[in-house]
Amino acid sequence: MGIALGCGGVTVSFDSVKALNDVSLTLESGKIHALLGQNGAGKTTLARFFSGLIKPDTGRLEINGREVEPGEVSEARAQGLEIVHQRFTLPPTFSVSDALELSATLKKGRAVFSTNTVAKSWGDEMQKAGIDASPFAKVGSLPIETVQSLEILRALSGNARILILDEPTALLSPGAIASLFERLRKLRADGVSLLVILHKLQEVLEIADTVTVLRDGRLVANPTPIENTSSSELSDLMIGGDGGPSVLQAQAAMSASGKARLVADSVTTASQKPGEPELTDATFVVRESEILGVAGVEGNGQRQLADLVCGFADLQDGKISLDGVDLSELSLAERRRIGIRIVPFDRMSEGASLATPLWENVITWRAEEFRKPHIPFLSVRAMKQRSREILGGLGVKFDSLEQSAMSLSGGNLQRLILARELENGVKLLVAAQPTRGLDFSATDFVLRCLEQLRNNGAAVIMMSSDLDELFDLSDRVIVLRGGRIAGEFQPPYDRQLVGDAMVGATR
Amino acid sequence: MNRVAANLLRFGVPVLASFLVCGLFFSLAGYDVWEVTLGILEGAVTGPGSFRQSLRWSIPMVLIALGFMISFRTGEFNIGGQGQLMLGGLGAVAVALIVPGPQLLILPLAILTGICAGALWSAIAGLLKLRYGADEVITTLMLNFIAVLFIQWVTVGPLRDEAVRGQTASTKRVDPSLRLTGGDGISPSMLVLVALAILVAWLIAERTPFGLKSRLVGANPVAAMWQGVPVKRIRLWAYLLAGGFAGLAGALEVLGPNGRLVTDATPTIGFTAIVVAIVGMSNVPGIVLAALLFGGLQASILFLPIVSDLPSSGLRIVEGLIAAIVTARFFHLRWRKKQAASVSE
Repeated sequence: MGIALGCGGVTVSFDSVKALNDVSLTLESGKIHALLGQNGAGKTTLARFFSGLIKPDTGRLEINGREVEPGEVSEARAQGLEIVHQRFTLPPTFSVSDALELSATLKKGRAVFSTNTVAKSWGDEMQKAGIDASPFAKVGSLPIETVQSLEILRALSGNARILILDEPTALLSPGAIASLFERLRKLRADGVSLLVILHKLQEVLEIADTVTVLRDGRLVANPTPIENTSSSELSDLMIGGDGGPSVLQAQAAMSASGKARLVADSVTTASQKPGEPELTDATFVVRESEILGVAGVEGNGQRQLADLVCGFADLQDGKISLDGVDLSELSLAERRRIGIRIVPFDRMSEGASLATPLWENVITWRAEEFRKPHIPFLSVRAMKQRSREILGGLGVKFDSLEQSAMSLSGGNLQRLILARELENGVKLLVAAQPTRGLDFSATDFVLRCLEQLRNNGAAVIMMSSDLDELFDLSDRVIVLRGGRIAGEFQPPYDRQLVGDAMVGATR
Repeated sequence: MNRVAANLLRFGVPVLASFLVCGLFFSLAGYDVWEVTLGILEGAVTGPGSFRQSLRWSIPMVLIALGFMISFRTGEFNIGGQGQLMLGGLGAVAVALIVPGPQLLILPLAILTGICAGALWSAIAGLLKLRYGADEVITTLMLNFIAVLFIQWVTVGPLRDEAVRGQTASTKRVDPSLRLTGGDGISPSMLVLVALAILVAWLIAERTPFGLKSRLVGANPVAAMWQGVPVKRIRLWAYLLAGGFAGLAGALEVLGPNGRLVTDATPTIGFTAIVVAIVGMSNVPGIVLAALLFGGLQASILFLPIVSDLPSSGLRIVEGLIAAIVTARFFHLRWRKKQAASVSE
């Protein structure tokens, strides 16, 4: 059995942070290797190092048993190594065949071609790979799992013998994950070596031949055959001794008698996001001191639900009110004034403005409150002072109020957003994927914040793709599928039933 | 203190560099650089009346640049200052020529009309952008052409001064009692007015909820939206304010140095003002400084051909080079920021 990938003494640092610290390992060819670790453990950095996208401070790289100059994409590719990134690279406005041809052209160089021949040759390739889509369809209009299959096809088109997949399951529904795994097994049978980055234990146990664990940029488990390990052992390796496992016990206050805060009565939205279902005929209530969990495969109406509460989506039908006040005519600014707050889906692009100083990030939306007495102008000093208190209140770590939000780590940035949103008189908080991409302790912090908010009487809508954390936290869970409420569940939750509602399976 | 020094450096280095590069080329082309330098200084500062002349040109520049800054901070690249300036002049001259009344009433009314005319002209582009998504760079630029032709029509048509013969058409002169200054464009009342306008711009940009919110809107409109900031309304106000400041500049030209509305009186001021705003790094003190510099250059451009054989376009090259170097730095910085953002992902 040959060596597919190997590295020795690899250290990669970004500024002062060591993303990889003296990592050495070898992976045999013809197998599916899993790379496991929490967010920020260095998995993606390692994958990028292997594919030549990152030049390490020190360390050597070996592909197919041959020493390769690290940090050179073309060298890695020449050895037959390809990577499928977490964020897809096929241009969404291109047709499928053009997009595939583009990436192939970059390698092989077919100078002149006609649309039809390209469509035909790629159509054949797609058929061989069992991808059900027209080569003329726009990439952006296809379901996410199809785009992913195309990304894999693209990667393999140059006769790749080693394939790295960065978190391929993150955005997929359970059904799509199963067929992805099927595809990976087929590739293994064809002799392709695979390195798959995952952060769910069950998936690792299901698909991998060996597993490697990273923690804080260090290798904590050499490639281990999957038979020789267990989920509890892997979990300990991932999380480490110091943090300890999460002990998030929902107190299950079960305040079903609590006063209704947000009432949505057979609501249908008109948010007009192409390719996503509108919220349709949705009726639900969120009570005070209650966390309503929203489960569902991404793109099944979660955006529309947030848009509904924020007033970004027009109401086509139905009514929505907070504490009896009709919301339909209120702008988001007015809604915020009566206590509606939101932690948006993407903290980097929606939750905060990265180029903006910290204090402006937390205070701008309520600048009006800082007018000086008697004259209509703002007191910058008062705003800064208040910002310092707000940031300090949730323990955001920072040096100066003037530093840009870009300088904060993911967890710290989410603290900033929570600090802004939880300040003062929250009646309803919509938390959209508040823990996505956060490491263990930052996740824990966010969840505790939501819990405390609930205990103080607020209503919380929590959307998450992590069922475990939803079950831990929520007093009730509703499932969105195709824009409709496909089920409502009470604790104790039955993972299988919720999963069935998410994907529409019947047993 | 450190930040002030850093900003001065960011301001000074490109300016110095462009002078050096131009000096090099002038000397290669056979000009006496020392003589040219003295000529520039004489035209801008040391010559008799030349500092007044520099100030006179700084005034429209600083006003339009402040308007540009306000709209640029919200992320809108409103380059229609030239057209808004002309419309402002038209508004002011129309009131001054047509409406009868005491000076104390008509003068403010004329200025106000100028401001409103500029604001409305800018609002056309604003509405086209915010309602229909028409790119503001194109609409504001095109509106400049329309403004030029419109003013031409007005000055050869309804408001024509029959007494003037020759190529440049113009309106009648406004009554001297409505003039803020003589032909040199500087008077105490003019300077007070401009100082007030600068103060107002600073207050709007730095000390109002609008100013703060426009920074957030410019830096990340999506994040602003999620915080309930009315992005479009802020941007529409920015268009109105930008046009208002340019309109004020136009009104002051008509009621000050020009005394009447002349077609093609100041065909490039609106564009130089954009450079002023960018060289001034989109903040009020920087813009005031940059306006003084470019006002001085403008004065020299008019003066230099008299004392040296360097054609005035030579100084336009200096201007252009400053703009190019500063803009390059500007985008370089933004690019670096983006890169930093993607690395930290």
